[in-house]
Amino acid sequence: MENMVAESVKYMILGMGIVFVFLYIMVLVLQFQAKLIAKYFPETPSQPSGGGTKTGIQKAKVAAVIGAIVHHKKCGK
Amino acid sequence: MKKQFVAALLLFFTLFATNVMASEHEASQHPVSALTQSAAPTEEVSHDKSIWELLKSFYKTTGIYALTTAQENVVNGEGEVVDPFHQTWGRIIMIGITLLLFYLAIAKGFEPLLLLPIGFGGLLANIPYANMTGPDGFLGVIYAAGIHNEFFPLLIFMGVGAMTDFGPMLANPKTALLGGAAQFGIFGTLVGAAALSQFTPLFDFSLQDCAAISIIGGADGPTSIFIATKLAPDLLGAIAVAAYSYMALVPVIQPPIMRALTSKEERVIVMKQQRKVHRLEKLFLPLIVLGLSILLLPESTPLIGAFTFGNFAKESGVVDRLSDTMQNALINIVTILLGLGVGSKLAAEKFLVGDTLGILILGLVAFAVGTAAGVIMAKIMNKLSSEPINPLIGAAGVSAVPMAARVVNKVGMEEKPGNILLMHAMGPNVSGVIGSAVAAGVLISIFS
Repeated sequence: MENMVAESVKYMILGMGIVFVFLYIMVLVLQFQAKLIAKYFPETPSQPSGGGTKTGIQKAKVAAVIGAIVHHKKCGK
Repeated sequence: MKKQFVAALLLFFTLFATNVMASEHEASQHPVSALTQSAAPTEEVSHDKSIWELLKSFYKTTGIYALTTAQENVVNGEGEVVDPFHQTWGRIIMIGITLLLFYLAIAKGFEPLLLLPIGFGGLLANIPYANMTGPDGFLGVIYAAGIHNEFFPLLIFMGVGAMTDFGPMLANPKTALLGGAAQFGIFGTLVGAAALSQFTPLFDFSLQDCAAISIIGGADGPTSIFIATKLAPDLLGAIAVAAYSYMALVPVIQPPIMRALTSKEERVIVMKQQRKVHRLEKLFLPLIVLGLSILLLPESTPLIGAFTFGNFAKESGVVDRLSDTMQNALINIVTILLGLGVGSKLAAEKFLVGDTLGILILGLVAFAVGTAAGVIMAKIMNKLSSEPINPLIGAAGVSAVPMAARVVNKVGMEEKPGNILLMHAMGPNVSGVIGSAVAAGVLISIFS
């Protein structure tokens, strides 16, 4: 119990060291991964936005159909 | 006829208030079996008692009597003798504290999802005679089922994983280091708590206790509960309450520290817009994080494994049903159980001790130090890096997702309206979750 502070300082150095080493390696791997993916799968990033517009078009279609029905019903009456 | 009536009346009472009706003597000797044994003997003896005596013995089984008169040899759920103060005033004070927790949760919106169940668990744990924290009691069963064995915090972590979007971190991986710097709150406080315990008579914590307390600085509820259960189960109630209260107080604690450590010019820095992140990057991230923790720190894999599983399920895009359950139904169920179970540690004899005050103070210090370390690291990175980094985002390195990031955004907007830092702050914020899980793994590996 005498050297609790000394012990805890050792834990601090070990702990912060491992946390930083862990995150630093993670950052390096992620940067490398980003490069790899950008090189080998370059076209895919545009896909989600493509999907987005698709649903956008579909929504517009649905809106147009609803509008037409409403108009039709109103005219029918 | 009269006797039969009295006996019937008594049977009625014993059936409807069995746990309360246990005489204090029996309750003290057999705290667990009191519930089952109380009915039969009372009924037999009752034939010789006058109505006055009956009322008197009934009074002795009421909460009014138990909360005002201390008895000898009363034991708690773990079979430890409870001293007179904790039987009477202690319980009343604790009930007051749980009411305060309700107030904070309901009126002030302090992490209500956890403080409300914890508060109610604490209220139930302080009821005399009922022994809900005992091995067969309602709260005791919950505690043994999922907190004692560290199961519930892992399930929560899984749900948090399924809710976390790592996109902002992937867009600018360097900011992940800020989530590491903020873990200095944990280790700095560990040293501080050890020094205070060794050199001053204020605290008397062991190194394990110090480690469990300082993890509050990670600002991560499940991690705090996980570590506290492993290293200092007696302090669990206070540590959990401190961790969740301070997480709720992030908007109060952090801004003054952030302003004190940065200059006006630094606070108005506008950061570059983030790049678009590929779906595959998000998909591989949990595997990379888990792989690294397998190689470097297998002790942290229960936490990181659960977290990355949740995130992997979310990002895979093919098991939306599972990821949806983890994010909603499962995490909600576990939150109820976790809150009640942790609340069982708010029994007066566990909470109203000198250590609790120490834990609350050290937890606050840990939070403040973590915030400061994150901001200082961000200042250094801003000086060294070619791209501008607003030092405010360093404060988000303490986990507390997404509260800390929102606070950063708010402070940034106050300095320069329109300077939206939210997404930039989410990077350090989510990496702080990984950082505190790694820090927890280090502490476990040291003490195991």
